[in-house]
Amino acid sequence: MTSILESIPQAEVGERLKVAREAAKITQAQAAEVIGVARTTLVAIEGGQRRVRLQEVQTLARLYGTSVNGLLRQGALKAALAPRFRKLVTGADEDSDSAAHLLANLVEAEAELENLLGVHRVRNDPPERPILGGNVVVQAEQDALELRQWLGLGNRPVQDMASLLELELGVRVYVRRLRGRVSGLFAYHEQFGACMLFNADHPRERRAFTAAHELGHFVSTRREPEILHLGEAETSREERYANAFARAFLMPPRAVMQKFKEVTAGASKLARRHVIVLAHFFAVSREAMVRRLEEIELVRSGTWDWFVDNGGITNVHVRQVLGDMLADDAEKRDADRPMGVRIMSLAAEAHRRELLSEGQLARLLKLDRVTFRELFDDLEIEGSVANGGPDLFK
Amino acid sequence: MVAPISSSDPSPGLAADASAVINLIASGQPEQILRSLPHQVLVAREVAEEIEGGRQNGHGNAEALERLIAAGHLTIVELSEQGAAIFEVLTVGDGPSTLDDGEAATIAWAATTGNVAVIDEKKATRICEQEYPSLRLWSTVDLFAHSHVTEAVGPKMLANAVFSALTVGRMRVLPRLQPWVVNLIGPERAALCHSLPTSARAACGAK
Repeated sequence: MTSILESIPQAEVGERLKVAREAAKITQAQAAEVIGVARTTLVAIEGGQRRVRLQEVQTLARLYGTSVNGLLRQGALKAALAPRFRKLVTGADEDSDSAAHLLANLVEAEAELENLLGVHRVRNDPPERPILGGNVVVQAEQDALELRQWLGLGNRPVQDMASLLELELGVRVYVRRLRGRVSGLFAYHEQFGACMLFNADHPRERRAFTAAHELGHFVSTRREPEILHLGEAETSREERYANAFARAFLMPPRAVMQKFKEVTAGASKLARRHVIVLAHFFAVSREAMVRRLEEIELVRSGTWDWFVDNGGITNVHVRQVLGDMLADDAEKRDADRPMGVRIMSLAAEAHRRELLSEGQLARLLKLDRVTFRELFDDLEIEGSVANGGPDLFK
Repeated sequence: MVAPISSSDPSPGLAADASAVINLIASGQPEQILRSLPHQVLVAREVAEEIEGGRQNGHGNAEALERLIAAGHLTIVELSEQGAAIFEVLTVGDGPSTLDDGEAATIAWAATTGNVAVIDEKKATRICEQEYPSLRLWSTVDLFAHSHVTEAVGPKMLANAVFSALTVGRMRVLPRLQPWVVNLIGPERAALCHSLPTSARAACGAK
């Protein structure tokens, strides 16, 4: 009689084991030793050529910091996204590797919960614009303005890139604290749609630029996943495109020219306060703002370098000019929580409906049980709603 | 008021899942409670591993479990071949019909050895009632409410232990046991317990 384990395709089991091992940063040799087989046997298991025994799965699950159910549960969308980042991550780059696995875990968890709850996520993929021959900056500027029109943005600045991506384009957006120099990640999956992860440790304006950069990739090189690092040089046409796209999307030329005219009316020199007000209006960094002014020839080339050489434009200057108008970083606060509100709401509902147990959810979200209970209680799913709240229209 | 399961139940062993162990530790008095129970309390290896896996979280459960095992208050048990078969059924399958390893091992061990499974999880309880109807189920509160425990620990300390399990461990209480809990710790303290549903707390004038 076939055991339940035997009814899962070997290749699928193997791939799930492989991804879990890579996420735990364990080598094939180490894993093979723990279950008492040759490395070649483990390779065969991960490749789907040799069937694995339940006891071996249990031992490996323990080694990888997960559980048999966590690894093999049907409907758990394991190993769907992480493998796509394999080519991008070299052995030495642990921070990128961790970020890729984090994004994969978040997307897989959210998608599994949505499927269980019957939540249909609306996607609104923008038209694709593959990169053609010729000047990429010109293409990027055109495509960015076209997308703005498609979204009905006109010339208005985008105050909240993450919300725009999520609500208008149906992108799965996560903002979490990432180690090292990782700014953001992007991957597109036929089933999950576009997925992006941004670094909560970066200031809001940098995150907005990273988001617009990844949006550029979503438009032009959709099928290629990417990991963006701080201070990364533009080594390819694709990267030049994405950066130019980001600049044009966040700071469309006519809007910048119009606002520049208003803000600098009556002045003969560019002052720090002009830059601060413009950057705040377009929700970008001071440097990005000045470089854009240079690019569209509203100020002389080298203006940013001048500011840098003359004391910069500091946070003190910003507070003097903007005072109370300084924006609160709600995304960063959400990223400080052990788990984002959106996923936690889905998880709490799945728990309330007894679709997944506390053990399964704690494992899925990588939380300990007490933390899971605290987050669940904070959402007040039980009690106030379940007992006597008004019915929702269906 | 529904009385909890009484001590006249002659079951030899109680298999505690991770939730029960964590609640006992959160009570602040796990040794006294375990010592005064007239039953041996067992922990499936998978449960111990789950708690050990949370060592970095800072709640101190892994260390506390180690101490309880070393002192002989808890004993680790392994699944037999029969138990492993049930474990497989409970862990390999689709989401709604499976459980995580610790929960599954607890049920598998208790079902194949004729012992009691101590679980607080509603979904696990439902699966047991459907698939293993002859399996006896207790919850953590049933341990606290055991008459031997009340006698040995005394009502005041027991109330403190249960209150601590509720506030520190966010212990879940099944509906049939909520009146007992509220009665034990008193309405003022019950109002402070976010893991009790609002209906139970509202009766005590909670906001």
